[in-house]
Amino acid sequence: MNARVLRLELRRSRTLLFWLALTMVLYGGFMAAYYPTLVRDIATIEQTFKTYPKEMLAAFSIEGNLSDQGAYFNAYVLSLVWPIVAAMAGILIPTRMVAADLERGFLELSLTTPVSRTRYLVTAIAVQVAAMAILAAATTLAIAGVLPLVGVAIEPARYLVVGLLAFAFGCTISAATTLLAVRTLSRGIAGGLIAGALLLMFLLQTIAKLVPDLSAISYLSVFRYFYPTPVLDQGSVPAGDLAVFGLVAVACWAGAVWLFRRRDLIG
Amino acid sequence: MSVIEVSGLTKSYGARRGVIELDFAVDAGEVFGFLGPNGAGKTTTIRLLTGMVCPTAGEARVFGHDAWRDAPAVHRQMAVVASDPGFLGELTVAEQLDHLADLRNLPAGVWRPLAERLELEPNVQIRKLSRGNRQKIGVVAVFMGAESLLVMDEPTSGLDPLMQREFLGLVSEARAAGRTVFLSSHNLAEVERTCDRVGVIREGRLVEIAPMQALIGLHWRSVNIVFAEAPDADAFDLPDVRVVATSGREAHLMVRGDVNPLVRRLGRFDLVDLSVATPDLEDVFLHLYEPTAPDAAGTRTAEVTR
Repeated sequence: MNARVLRLELRRSRTLLFWLALTMVLYGGFMAAYYPTLVRDIATIEQTFKTYPKEMLAAFSIEGNLSDQGAYFNAYVLSLVWPIVAAMAGILIPTRMVAADLERGFLELSLTTPVSRTRYLVTAIAVQVAAMAILAAATTLAIAGVLPLVGVAIEPARYLVVGLLAFAFGCTISAATTLLAVRTLSRGIAGGLIAGALLLMFLLQTIAKLVPDLSAISYLSVFRYFYPTPVLDQGSVPAGDLAVFGLVAVACWAGAVWLFRRRDLIG
Repeated sequence: MSVIEVSGLTKSYGARRGVIELDFAVDAGEVFGFLGPNGAGKTTTIRLLTGMVCPTAGEARVFGHDAWRDAPAVHRQMAVVASDPGFLGELTVAEQLDHLADLRNLPAGVWRPLAERLELEPNVQIRKLSRGNRQKIGVVAVFMGAESLLVMDEPTSGLDPLMQREFLGLVSEARAAGRTVFLSSHNLAEVERTCDRVGVIREGRLVEIAPMQALIGLHWRSVNIVFAEAPDADAFDLPDVRVVATSGREAHLMVRGDVNPLVRRLGRFDLVDLSVATPDLEDVFLHLYEPTAPDAAGTRTAEVTR
């Protein structure tokens, strides 16, 4: 890792991170503040949901008892807005440091100094990890910070685990994007492929929920492994899901470093 | 001692040609010009020397290190500026140069004297600069350190004539300090004024490599003479001298290489006027880029006497 590159890249990421974090803080905080109201009116709200098509409920992860913190925050924050925010950061930051900077000629400036390719890409990965940690922390802290203010008791450890799961989910997107960015050296192609893959996996997960015979296809979806409801409601630790995210992320980043060291870098 | 040693260096991008079997060396303290039109392979050669691309065959060694495998070791002794460096528009000139200095383990602000010399305003955001001023950042960046080898790809494109003159001064100072310069340029006058030797690349192959004066000297000069009296028909029957036209007391000749035999022959005559047009690098360059390079002076008269 190179501290100078890290400093500059964190600085370049600050505007994006500020607005994404602010979005999650405001939205997460608002949904947490609204939670007691929903609990009070749950009978009416559930009656309303019964009129909605089951496909829509499945697509938006509206399932279980919404008056439970896990079901509620999964439906309204963690499986709804967090994947979008994580995908934005997980696509924009890795593709900027590899593909976009190569296209604009900045990468060549950095890599014709004594900074090695390995150190450069490891630093790029560190920036992604830091960005995802900031966003996951902002999201979970906003929820866990506002709930006590509106009189709702929380289990801090459960929110910590949810934050870790959200972080791992975001890192997996970042890592896959990094690998594709190094492979294609094109911000557009790498970003488009990842966005398309996430959309496809979202559809697979929704179909798997609606068609029990096809439930196995959910294993191909990243969203299957990102399920915070039981973490918040039952206090379970999703060790298997975390392991899947961890393995995929580490493998993609390692593959990216391996490839980055060996390939031509031409903008 | 050679700072750069290139042997059999070949790079292809799939079916697309990059460079083919380049062989050359650049000695320590030498200013080496690398010429060729767009697409000839200049930038590919520089990318091979800087380790940005991997050779398909052959090797490039810089300070004895393999330029691809030991790139960071090479970069510790090399400063590079690309033809269109992608400086970050959101940074100021000072921030960008300090960042690059930092990566090269140079102290912050090391670039300030050079920036003043090139009249580069340090506190302006790069995105607000003209192309010429952005190019100045590249020139400052490449000269600001103490690296022994400076590699520059079209460093003066966009610079005004005054700044080009400053650039020539910087190259001269680098040479005087014993630094080696590898300069790719379209500016033939600049190469002619700064370089000790020149390599000319055409369609990926090195077609000429020679000391500057030898390269120019090997080509045909145009000689116009006005005699006091009309000379004999065989007055110019000398090796490497060709009569283009004679008219009474005037003669237009072409001479290649050593001019002394012709000068001695002219000593026999009473001359009214004599002019010798030495070809410049552009003449040589154009000659090398003719579809076929003929030997006969007559077929090249227009080019050489331009």
